[in-house]
Amino acid sequence: MVSAVYIIIAALAAAFILGFLKEQWRGLAYVITLAALAFMSWVSAGWVWALGWQGAEAVDILTAGTEPPFAINLRMGLPEAVLTLLVNLTGLLSALYLKEVLFRLGRRSLVVLLIAIMALSGIILTRDIFNLFVFFELVVISTGGLILLSDDVQSNSRALSAGFKYLIASQIISVLLLVGIIFAYHATGTLNIDGMAGADLMALQGGVIAFFLMFIAIVAELKPFPANGWALDIYESAHPAFSAIFSAATGAAALYAVDKLLLIGGVSWLPVATAIGIVTFVVSNTLALSQSNDRRLLGYSSIAQIGLVFTVLGQRDILGDDYYYIAFGVLIAHAVGKAGLYWLSGLVAGRGLTDWSALRGHPLLIFAFLTFVFLLVGLPPFPGFYAKWELARYLAAEGRLALLALILFGALIEAGYLFRWFGYIIKRERPAQGVVSDPLKQVVIFAAVVAGWAMAFLWGELSGRANLLLALPLLFALAFLLLEWLPAWFKNIVAISGLVGYFAMTYTEYDPLRLIFIIIFTLGGALTLLASFHTSGKRIGFYPGAMLMYAGLVMLIRATDSFDFFAAWELLTIGSYFLILRGKHSEPHALSYAIFSLAGAFSILAGFALAADGAVHFTIQSLSEVATPLAPWVFILLAVGFMTKTAAIGLHIWLPGAHAEAETDVSPMVSGILLKAGLYGLMMLMLGMGIQELHGIKLNYVMLWIGALSALLGNLMAIFEEDAKRLLAYSSIGQMGYALFGLALMNHLGWLMALMFVINHYIYKSMLFMSVGGVAKRTGTRDMYRMGGLITLMPLSFIAVMIGIIAVSGVPPLSGFGGRWIFYNAIMSSEYRLPMLIIFLSVPVAFLYLFRLIHTIFLGQLKDEHRRIKEAPFWLILPQMIYVACLLVFALVPGIALRHVDRYLNDFFPNGGLGWDGLLITSQYGYWSPINIMIIIGVIFMLLFFWLLFVNRKAQKVKQFNIVFSAERPYRPETTHFAWNFFAPYRKALGFMVQPFVTLFWNTITDFLHAAANLVRRLYTGNGQTYAYHLLLFVVVVFFVRMGV
Amino acid sequence: MIAQLAMATGFALILIGFYGALTNRNILRMIVAFSVANTGVHLVLVAVGYMNGRTAPILDSAVSATEAVTRIIDPVPQALVLTAIVIGMGVTALMLAFAYKLYEKKRSLDIGKFTELRW
Repeated sequence: MVSAVYIIIAALAAAFILGFLKEQWRGLAYVITLAALAFMSWVSAGWVWALGWQGAEAVDILTAGTEPPFAINLRMGLPEAVLTLLVNLTGLLSALYLKEVLFRLGRRSLVVLLIAIMALSGIILTRDIFNLFVFFELVVISTGGLILLSDDVQSNSRALSAGFKYLIASQIISVLLLVGIIFAYHATGTLNIDGMAGADLMALQGGVIAFFLMFIAIVAELKPFPANGWALDIYESAHPAFSAIFSAATGAAALYAVDKLLLIGGVSWLPVATAIGIVTFVVSNTLALSQSNDRRLLGYSSIAQIGLVFTVLGQRDILGDDYYYIAFGVLIAHAVGKAGLYWLSGLVAGRGLTDWSALRGHPLLIFAFLTFVFLLVGLPPFPGFYAKWELARYLAAEGRLALLALILFGALIEAGYLFRWFGYIIKRERPAQGVVSDPLKQVVIFAAVVAGWAMAFLWGELSGRANLLLALPLLFALAFLLLEWLPAWFKNIVAISGLVGYFAMTYTEYDPLRLIFIIIFTLGGALTLLASFHTSGKRIGFYPGAMLMYAGLVMLIRATDSFDFFAAWELLTIGSYFLILRGKHSEPHALSYAIFSLAGAFSILAGFALAADGAVHFTIQSLSEVATPLAPWVFILLAVGFMTKTAAIGLHIWLPGAHAEAETDVSPMVSGILLKAGLYGLMMLMLGMGIQELHGIKLNYVMLWIGALSALLGNLMAIFEEDAKRLLAYSSIGQMGYALFGLALMNHLGWLMALMFVINHYIYKSMLFMSVGGVAKRTGTRDMYRMGGLITLMPLSFIAVMIGIIAVSGVPPLSGFGGRWIFYNAIMSSEYRLPMLIIFLSVPVAFLYLFRLIHTIFLGQLKDEHRRIKEAPFWLILPQMIYVACLLVFALVPGIALRHVDRYLNDFFPNGGLGWDGLLITSQYGYWSPINIMIIIGVIFMLLFFWLLFVNRKAQKVKQFNIVFSAERPYRPETTHFAWNFFAPYRKALGFMVQPFVTLFWNTITDFLHAAANLVRRLYTGNGQTYAYHLLLFVVVVFFVRMGV
Repeated sequence: MIAQLAMATGFALILIGFYGALTNRNILRMIVAFSVANTGVHLVLVAVGYMNGRTAPILDSAVSATEAVTRIIDPVPQALVLTAIVIGMGVTALMLAFAYKLYEKKRSLDIGKFTELRW
């Protein structure tokens, strides 16, 4: 192994040689620098390999041939090896990225860069406190030097003033650090960090204050809130490659320095670290909300992420062996993601967030952006995800719940602004200036992308759990990234065969309950994908998103461990977010979907963490073993998470926009299929935990109410919609309310009904979204009142809608009636009268809006501009007709699916099952014979139909306007078809009940956050002197808080 | 006694320096103030290492290696203070370079004039 001291020697030697070169030999100087940085990286990498894989021991390097404390010693252990590798690689890549700038500036800048990287490595390696101070000062000087030099050419005084503010802060820091060091030395007689830790500095006279001064000085290097104005200015104004070093490498080195210092301070200082870290994390993320400059936003995010790692450092006492796994998971994800984003920002000309839409049209760069965002947010399969899971597990087990909540809150805000940014990229108008095309810079960016994915794999391997990157469904979804250059129809075939093939491979492995879901997710998914054949071109981005969602759905059903379950949940959430974002006007709706879903996911994460009580592996089945004081809370957290997905009332506001604005073939996927994931989660939860009580209130009773209100209000909101797809979306809220109600009844029939809804809702909602989508495609509008009289032009769509609404409304003879019948049986055997009434009430409300789909779209007067439209495209009609067939078959023989589930449910709810006697289904209240009903209805229909033909046989055909209406002769279709604001009287009658209270509530919260962010960020006045005040104030406040407790 | 006096002076200089840096808007005055504070730190460093009645830590004919432990003062703070002085000078030089550049850009040395970056 090459000794780690050569990292420092190589940098110094190269810098020394550079001094002898002629100013013109820039190429040579640049090559020497790169060679030195590559060598330094190679040395670190060798140590990572030796220590991490070959089981080598950490070594101490004695610089003067003498043991510490008489000489400085360096240590190379696994953390040091990883961190120096991170620092050196960041330096190397940034040097590559800076090629043009460094060539222009000449060898002086190369020397300064080398010194900066060397000093950062030194901070990591040294075990001597004074040496640490020296390396920190070297970082300060080289940082200042880099800013000063790069200013020569850019003639940008902004970076210059930022650098000066940094120097002011560092002066204060160095005074505190030096005074601290000398008194710590005085007390312990050593400068060695381990020696000080061994000497128990805290117990010695003046030791606490000496330590405080050292500690706070190094902490100030972490840019804690609010003493970080100078850092923000550097992030905003410096060259992006430099900001990458500043964020990834300097941050990592400073964190490790604090980690070493905490060895001296001991456990009693961990809460201080936690407090500073979490405040910084939450506040900085909140402040980032109101940023519009990309690099400043990344600066806030950097500071927040460092704060998060600092919080993790503060948990050292409970994390045990997983300490480094978690801390490095967060840190490396941050470093790679942030460096990558800064490098990426160098390719974008404008500094506004919306200017990043220049990336559109560069799928690879968008992929890079997403990789970095995933890393930062901690989404699967990246290291931050594993780290977040383990951290939550420990925090919950130790009862540090407030901290867990704050971390999740901060993470949610971060996800919010990062995904909002992604929305800008995909949806905003592209600026005039495109992306700077510089192959070298792109190579650097993709090196970071590769590193990110490699880390994802590594963290999966180290997790002791199933490596997500080895999960077949996820790999299949990711494979579509490689197929993006192929035409959409080909990818569609691959996708459909993948879904069907996966079902064929695994269908024997599921119990009846899961089988229903897996059929909907795979075969049902394949069926909706048929509609995707109607698109042309490559449809870049569609298939990775769609298949990611399906992969998540499939993995959700197959998951037995809570970790796998949660990972699948996040995957399906992200996949569906990408799908929803594809809609033309869906930018805000996709964002609100992402935020609600992630909040729900975090609630699930917290629930599982609480339930696991520290256990490494916690299966879904073990939910039944959670003991009482905890159990209701676990139940609530998980239920809230799942109900976010089913859009229960109060958590529903994302749904209408998300489902309505999605593309024609996406709406069926996210409505018909995706919503079932929430129901599946609820089923797993309630099968496991049964009826829970909190303060004497049965929680399933609360859910019963939520279900009933969702049903009523969802339906009520649907009747006032003019937009056909929004109407269907609101209707989904109502339908999911029924299903929730059924589950919450906690009896056999209730569950059977919920499952019936699962199947029915998939079929008819997919079908309706497709037919309405087809109509909207042809007419160019989704407003129903702009349509009318389409029955003759689009007969097949009409049939689909007709059959669909019969099924939804639950009138005989279609399967919706079966659902109703089981439903009525179910509620007759339960005692919840009031919510039952509400459910009853919501049924006729559903008629009101369903009727409009026929009345307003297909009946009434054909509009002039629609006279020449054709039937919807074949590929949209085909799946609809298959759905019609499915509905008819399911209506005739519901037993093919339900009798198996019915039997399966006997294990959980022994009483109240149905009798399945041939084609006759009996309950304790009566019987249901689908075939007889179908025959009776058929006969009645035919009789009426023939009677109509008979009485109309002499009818005279007239043209559209051959009528007189209220003594006037109308000449425009609009005036003869009453369709707009159809239920205005009801709206008036309902009064306050139809006010959008919930939307108002959530809007107020986001407005409040933004307003608060806007207010607090005024703290950063831009004046370097004010920042010095902040820093000193920070020191004083931390001192008094620490000494006070 | 002399050590305490030096230390008190050192802390006084640090406080004066900070006060000066926080109240003067002129960049050059701020740099001078920080130099004062740095001098204060150096004084504190030396004062901590001082031991009454001992001699400088130089091993020559006057002090032999064997009796050094009892006769010389602790050499470490002195080594530290030398390093600190060198580093302090480096940082001060850098700050002056910045001041020069900043003045070139705006023809002003008022720290309050360089607030384009904020919020």
